[in-house]
Amino acid sequence: MSDNKILFNSGSLEELSEELGKTIGNEESKLKLGPDNADSGLAKLVLTLIELIRKLVEKQAMRRVDGGLLTDDEIENLGETLMKLEDKMEELKKHFNLTDKDLNINLGPLGDLM
Amino acid sequence: MNHNVVDQSKDITILELLDRVLNKGVILTGDIVISVADIDLVYLGVKLMLCSVETMEQLKLGKSVPEKL
Amino acid sequence: MMIYSIISLNKNPEKLKAYLQGMKGILNTDLYAVFYNEIAVVVSDLKRANLVSDSVNALAYGDVIEKLAKQFTLLPMRFGSVLESRELIISMLEKNYYGIINNLQKVDNKFEFGLKVFCDTEKVLAELKIKLESDDKTETKSLKETQNSVYRDWVEKKLKEHRREEQLLSYVNTIIEDITNNLEKLDSVSKFKKMVTETTIIDALFLLDKPKKEDLVQTIGDMKIKYPGLNFVLTGPWSPYNFVDITIKE
Repeated sequence: MSDNKILFNSGSLEELSEELGKTIGNEESKLKLGPDNADSGLAKLVLTLIELIRKLVEKQAMRRVDGGLLTDDEIENLGETLMKLEDKMEELKKHFNLTDKDLNINLGPLGDLM
Repeated sequence: MNHNVVDQSKDITILELLDRVLNKGVILTGDIVISVADIDLVYLGVKLMLCSVETMEQLKLGKSVPEKL
Repeated sequence: MMIYSIISLNKNPEKLKAYLQGMKGILNTDLYAVFYNEIAVVVSDLKRANLVSDSVNALAYGDVIEKLAKQFTLLPMRFGSVLESRELIISMLEKNYYGIINNLQKVDNKFEFGLKVFCDTEKVLAELKIKLESDDKTETKSLKETQNSVYRDWVEKKLKEHRREEQLLSYVNTIIEDITNNLEKLDSVSKFKKMVTETTIIDALFLLDKPKKEDLVQTIGDMKIKYPGLNFVLTGPWSPYNFVDITIKE
């Protein structure tokens, strides 16, 4: 690596490297994945998809609530369903030893649905 | 610039380059091998994802699969 | 064979041959070119078994591409692109010829630049709120608290988060619009991702003619003056990793 490719930076470099670490993700851990842990990789893929859909539903629901056209009962029901879904998701994450960060993987065009 | 600053600029450049090399660029679909071995690379796009599902199907059926990395 | 990139030759294969003389790929393998019509791929001989995907190899790989990009118009291949033989490479080029030529024309003489905008989102939102409140006195209505219910509380909490996100998003959209307007004269292709993390509100990519680099730096500098609360980081020039949109079939 010879070139420094930072053309403009208004923040401090410390902040910047920290930020980049967050956006780019932990490449090291990515690279260590191999055939031995394909199981958890699959769980990760499936849970990521479920989480994406759950979030989409939740977002849509909040738009409806914000729209103000739902009755009290409807809001109550919605709240119960979504809250239970969220709890269930937490359970699954715990079961497979996955954190939110693990489920924050790049899904390509699918991710743009959010 | 002191050494620390130089090092940090370098780190940042490295991170940016790694991100590109590993996650971007022209994809060769036939190249399922690295995608399966390096699970995270599977998520790069729906296309690749479908490819790897196919591979898993083949694994299940006991068909031959390209040798692992 | 490990494939590094596909290069447009501009009727000058000798230049590439000479340039690759003595150049090393990953694991110290010799780089050479496989030619097909007016394009070529840069490869080095490497067994799959020896190809460990670690950051040392990935960086060495990226380095080769960045060096080549200074001299030639190219399409960077993703790390890990391997084909077994020269024949397979030729047939790959044959099958994907038009897609490749198309993409090469799109990035001809252009470079990619990356822009990340990050900030303390809480601070930005607080400032926005003050501004909004002085603009008009509309208060965001909250749900009637007729009865106490866990579910209702939960919805209330989520609703707050939702409104916060929407607010931030509309702010991000205005910034993006601003950047886009200012870049119009540079005739660049841009891609924007919003709200990548809690703090990185914009992750943008630009494809730009080589000589326009300084104009871009200038534009981003102006943006910083206009939005002092945000941090702008511009990197580049990179080879056009994010502006190739072909998936090549073997």
